[in-house]
Amino acid sequence: MNSFSDLIKQLWQRLGSMSLAIVLLMVLSLASVIGTVLLQNQQQTDYLQQFGPLWYWLFRSLGLFDMYHTWWFLTLLGFLMLSLTACLWRHVPLMLKEMRSHKGTINDRSLKRMELNQRWRLGDGITIETMQDLLKKRLHGWEFKSTEENGVHFLRADKGRKHKWGYISVHAAILIVLIGGFISVQFGFRGNMSVAEGSMEKTIFFSQGTETAELDMPFQVRCNSFEIDFFSTGAPKEFRSNLTIIDEGKEVLTSDIIVNEPLFYKGVYIYQASFGDGGSDVTFKFYHIDGSQKTRTAATQVYKTLKDEESDISIEVTDFRPYNVENISEKFGEKKFKDIGPSVEYVMRGNGFKPVKVKAYMNPYIDADGNNQGSWMMVSVSGDAKDYEPVALGLDLTNPQEWQLFHAFFTRMSEMQGARNEKANLKAFKLAMQDVFGDERPADFQNMAVRTLQAVQILPKLPWPVIPMLEDYSHVYYTGLQLAKDPGMNIVWAGSAILVIGLCIMFYLPHRKIWLVIRPADGGTHITLAGLTNRNHLAFQQTFNDLFTKLDEEFSHHKNKGSKT
Amino acid sequence: MSATTAEVSILGGLNQGRLALARFYAYIGLSLGISAMALYGADGYNEDAFLYQILSMQGLLWGGTGALIGAGLAATLSTMKPGMLEGRVAPNTVPWLDGSLLMVILAIIAAQFEPIASQISYDDQSNLVAADIIMTMNVVFIFSAVAYIAYLFAPEVFIGRIATASAWFGVYAGGTALLLRWHESYLFDMDMGHAPVSNLYEVFILLFMITASVYLSFERRYEAKGMGAFVMALVSAGVFFGIWLDSVGQADIKPLVPALQSYWMKIHVPMNFVGYGAFAVACGAGIAYLLRHGMENRGSTSRMLKVLPTLEQLDQFAYKSVAVGFPAFTLATILGAAWAAEAWGGYWSWDPKETWALIVWLVYGAYLHARVSHGWHGKALAWWAVAGFLVTVFCFLGVNMYLSGLHSYGRLT
Repeated sequence: MNSFSDLIKQLWQRLGSMSLAIVLLMVLSLASVIGTVLLQNQQQTDYLQQFGPLWYWLFRSLGLFDMYHTWWFLTLLGFLMLSLTACLWRHVPLMLKEMRSHKGTINDRSLKRMELNQRWRLGDGITIETMQDLLKKRLHGWEFKSTEENGVHFLRADKGRKHKWGYISVHAAILIVLIGGFISVQFGFRGNMSVAEGSMEKTIFFSQGTETAELDMPFQVRCNSFEIDFFSTGAPKEFRSNLTIIDEGKEVLTSDIIVNEPLFYKGVYIYQASFGDGGSDVTFKFYHIDGSQKTRTAATQVYKTLKDEESDISIEVTDFRPYNVENISEKFGEKKFKDIGPSVEYVMRGNGFKPVKVKAYMNPYIDADGNNQGSWMMVSVSGDAKDYEPVALGLDLTNPQEWQLFHAFFTRMSEMQGARNEKANLKAFKLAMQDVFGDERPADFQNMAVRTLQAVQILPKLPWPVIPMLEDYSHVYYTGLQLAKDPGMNIVWAGSAILVIGLCIMFYLPHRKIWLVIRPADGGTHITLAGLTNRNHLAFQQTFNDLFTKLDEEFSHHKNKGSKT
Repeated sequence: MSATTAEVSILGGLNQGRLALARFYAYIGLSLGISAMALYGADGYNEDAFLYQILSMQGLLWGGTGALIGAGLAATLSTMKPGMLEGRVAPNTVPWLDGSLLMVILAIIAAQFEPIASQISYDDQSNLVAADIIMTMNVVFIFSAVAYIAYLFAPEVFIGRIATASAWFGVYAGGTALLLRWHESYLFDMDMGHAPVSNLYEVFILLFMITASVYLSFERRYEAKGMGAFVMALVSAGVFFGIWLDSVGQADIKPLVPALQSYWMKIHVPMNFVGYGAFAVACGAGIAYLLRHGMENRGSTSRMLKVLPTLEQLDQFAYKSVAVGFPAFTLATILGAAWAAEAWGGYWSWDPKETWALIVWLVYGAYLHARVSHGWHGKALAWWAVAGFLVTVFCFLGVNMYLSGLHSYGRLT
């Protein structure tokens, strides 16, 4: 039994030791590095793809994908808390005792050992009180204690006697912060909620290890509207959601939130975190490119898949954007931002062609000089947004006459009996213009001619049966909210405040001690001035030397006077 | 030497006794007055135009009244209680505040040279004045580093003075340029205006200023001139990085992303750089220590040993810098946590930047433990100061360049 308690005692001693503390700090920092290099809380499939099965399972079993919540990392933090507690337990009583005790006397040996040490030998002309007063006058704001023992007069001056409180509070503060953090994790929550404009949500989602967990809030959140404001440069300036809190069927509170200005209700903070498409209605217009000149419209919604029986394709709509602010300048290094209008993103699948990811723009591309470059889309054959390549369709499909012109041109070309020179082209185009526009020519017909020729090159090469373009939309955002309850937060703030105050005491209020020891000797007195500090030796050295010089002047003044009488 | 002493005593009179105390209280009054304006003034606090609120007639009235009350209070109190004049806080703080005021005045003067409104365009920012002042600062800092290095080899008083003077000049140029950039950000569009601590280029300038002024304050108080070569060489390395950033188009003033539109940015970012700057000075002292240690071990009789501070002094300088940097960095991290709690919904998310800040904090925490409680000194700690700064650099730059996370606006684009 005795040996057991000895063991505990020894362990306790070890826990509070400085070496363990330093090792713990270093191990914690090294462990933390892992979580910064390895992206945390990503999709498991991404990890599997990135590392391959072997490393994936190894990393997963070590919990490296959500490292800061694994048992071993929390154990490290627990050890840090234990070590801090043991350290405080051991040192605080000693420190309190040391601060209370305030011995006025000092023995010769300690006096001699002090790094700052000066001596005088003076005549009788000066009283002990005068000498002590001279020192007191120089040390403004110090605490004094004078003692007499065996005829020797000690004057002890202290500054920063509370210095040890700095040490105590810093270490206690870190403990408090860690406790606060523990309470936050244990009794708080933090998760995301997407609320489409006009709809209502109650549940938040958050990742827990490798899984996604959900939690119901004690109230419902309705998003009335979501708005984005832009700077004149096109960069987003403000994301603003108008929310209504509904508690037990009653609307209790309606308020705007923006980034950096959350809403607080029933202990839960509601933050503006992200936004996206909330399932907008979109209408496609299919342009059949089999030469039939046929167009059809089909309506669907974002996040839904449209199956088109007639052309045997399916369109999975992934995103819709009402604005696309892009740099339209063609000169290198120059910036000219402009909203180029709405776009819809979809994946098109069908027989006879590889699935493609497409971002189709509703409006034709108007370049920096104001020229119409025709309708266009971004196409990625790999399905990755990184591989988007622009495809100019030539025609401005928002203008039905161009679609007619294109087909008229085709018909007229085929009448040319295979003549494929410039002259024949021009003739066919003129005839086609006549067919579509009659005698009135549109203002930019030359530009139109170039683009129609371009379309003749491109459209027949597309492997798809139709070109799905965005025809109409009714836009709905969702606002991405983060909801968090953090009962430990105020404890953390209290701990932080104590930490900063403690650090300031520790670094800027060193405990400085100065002794003036006056010892009577034959025909005069021996005087010793000695000083000691626990921080900031350089500054104290200067203070001490200044003090010595001043006192020396005063004393020699008195010495002269003394010798005269 | 005697000339220097005389110089110091003439200027020193300004920074002592009643005059210093009155100014100190006036500055406190000024900031209280401006805070009062933000809280109770007719227009309240306007995040988008606080700079102009301060510089307007209203700001002058609120601030000026505060300053007058402060100065009056100081004069009365110090007459009633002469002991107050002995305090060290006012004389130590006042030169810094004077310097800041001077920067504001210089920036107001420089603002008069800005091009007329019709010639200012967001797309081409090359005709703005701050860029020229920043280039001057770059050149002067590099010159200063060269002069400090020359001083090591040729310890002439004259060279030393030039080195110090140019370093001070650089600090003032940097401060003026930053304040001017603040003003310039409003010239494009009142909506776009923001404090000049929003991207890597701007905070680099802040870092140079802080590093140089922490070092210069050591130089002023202690015989530390030999250390300047090491600190200013670090600053120069940063200057080259800044010039590179400019050359790849990272120097433009851009509007703030919504996440940064908060008063916390004005507090959190500069406070962080007080930490980084102080750690840089500690690193300079560490390198100087290692150099001197090596030379002494080889029994060198180089003249350099006469100008380099002693090993003990260098050890103390490194410690003192950490003692400045560590509390500042702690406070900055806490302020960052407070901001995160307001913007991201949690005070700590183990975001790479946060985690690396924690690592930096732990590294310097361990340094302090090793030194104060374990009594480590000398070479090992000099290496630690250098290694600690490398970790700091990674936290500041590496995280932005290599790791993704919530601090992505510090990223190179």
